[in-house]
Amino acid sequence: MAATSSYMACTKFSMLGWSGGKRDLRMKRVLSVSAQQQAEVGETQEAKVQEEQEKVKQQPTQPRPVEKQLNVKSKNMGKEYGGQWLSSVTRHVRIYAAYIDPETSEFDQTQMDKLTLILDPTDEFVWTPETCNKVYSYFQELVDHYEGAPLTEYTLRLIGSDIEHYIRKLLYDGEIKYNMDAKVLNFSMGKPRILFNNNNDGQFQDG
Amino acid sequence: MQGRLSVWLVKHGLVHRSLGFDYQGIETLQIKPEDWHSIAVILYVYGYNYLRSQCAYDVAPGGLLASVYHLTRIEYGVDQPEEVCIKVFAPRSNPRIPSVFWVWKSSDFQERESYDMLGISYENHPRLKRILMPESWIGWPLRKDYIAPNFYEIQDAH
Repeated sequence: MAATSSYMACTKFSMLGWSGGKRDLRMKRVLSVSAQQQAEVGETQEAKVQEEQEKVKQQPTQPRPVEKQLNVKSKNMGKEYGGQWLSSVTRHVRIYAAYIDPETSEFDQTQMDKLTLILDPTDEFVWTPETCNKVYSYFQELVDHYEGAPLTEYTLRLIGSDIEHYIRKLLYDGEIKYNMDAKVLNFSMGKPRILFNNNNDGQFQDG
Repeated sequence: MQGRLSVWLVKHGLVHRSLGFDYQGIETLQIKPEDWHSIAVILYVYGYNYLRSQCAYDVAPGGLLASVYHLTRIEYGVDQPEEVCIKVFAPRSNPRIPSVFWVWKSSDFQERESYDMLGISYENHPRLKRILMPESWIGWPLRKDYIAPNFYEIQDAH
């Protein structure tokens, strides 16, 4: 019982600390998938992931989110663990080698076999579940592609950059648009145009 | 045409090759990587107590890598100190050059930068690791055959 109540309290605190103001209403787009295995990860887990990867080979890659965890606590965030974490952070894509709880934002750094993607935290684009899923499946595809690569900042940055290029492509194809209510409106992927790509004429209107 | 230091090195039987003079008239010598450490010690004893700069460059596509040292002899009451420029060339496949850290301590960060940018590994350097790029970086950015990864950057922000 005590554990449950403290969990609820945690939720409240981190929601307040994280967002604040009107952003409370907004849905956070967080996806965690299991990353490629490192040498230090146990054998059983490794076998499980390989099974998973053999199972899924159709097009396009389905995202395989890890199951939601309860009672996630921030772990290994202190100075004694180096005070840093493996990540690739650009404006629209944040990838962390950790499990992050979507609601409480608790950051569990002990689970480095998982990658968490936070998509567009500054709300620059208008996202629908379909476009989100496109990005997630592309993320899963990339994670599968880089399986066996060393889990370093460089690899994460390669993945993050590819996702950014993919988001740019979605924008140019008119599948997502700029959110004109965004806090910072600087059109970081190019000024809005009527015709981005010819195959989709008229679909994209500038706000 | 030989400079003063070249004549002195010949007199003491030290192997080198004269590369002429640069635009300021400073003598330039080429020294083999395997001789470089002993000659560096000899030059320090000779009086070159100041390493003014160390840099490195990629000579040509597929060619050699060069590490360059500008040495100066600082003395009291001299307004035109003796200077010399040393170039050490190493093959691109296995670029190993002895570090002069233990002769001129100021080469510490400069050799690390040369390592970071061109991948020249300086032997006996106490902490040879990347200094400008992240430690997990792959490749040597200032080599002529380096291909920059397609990393995303904000390109069109207004």
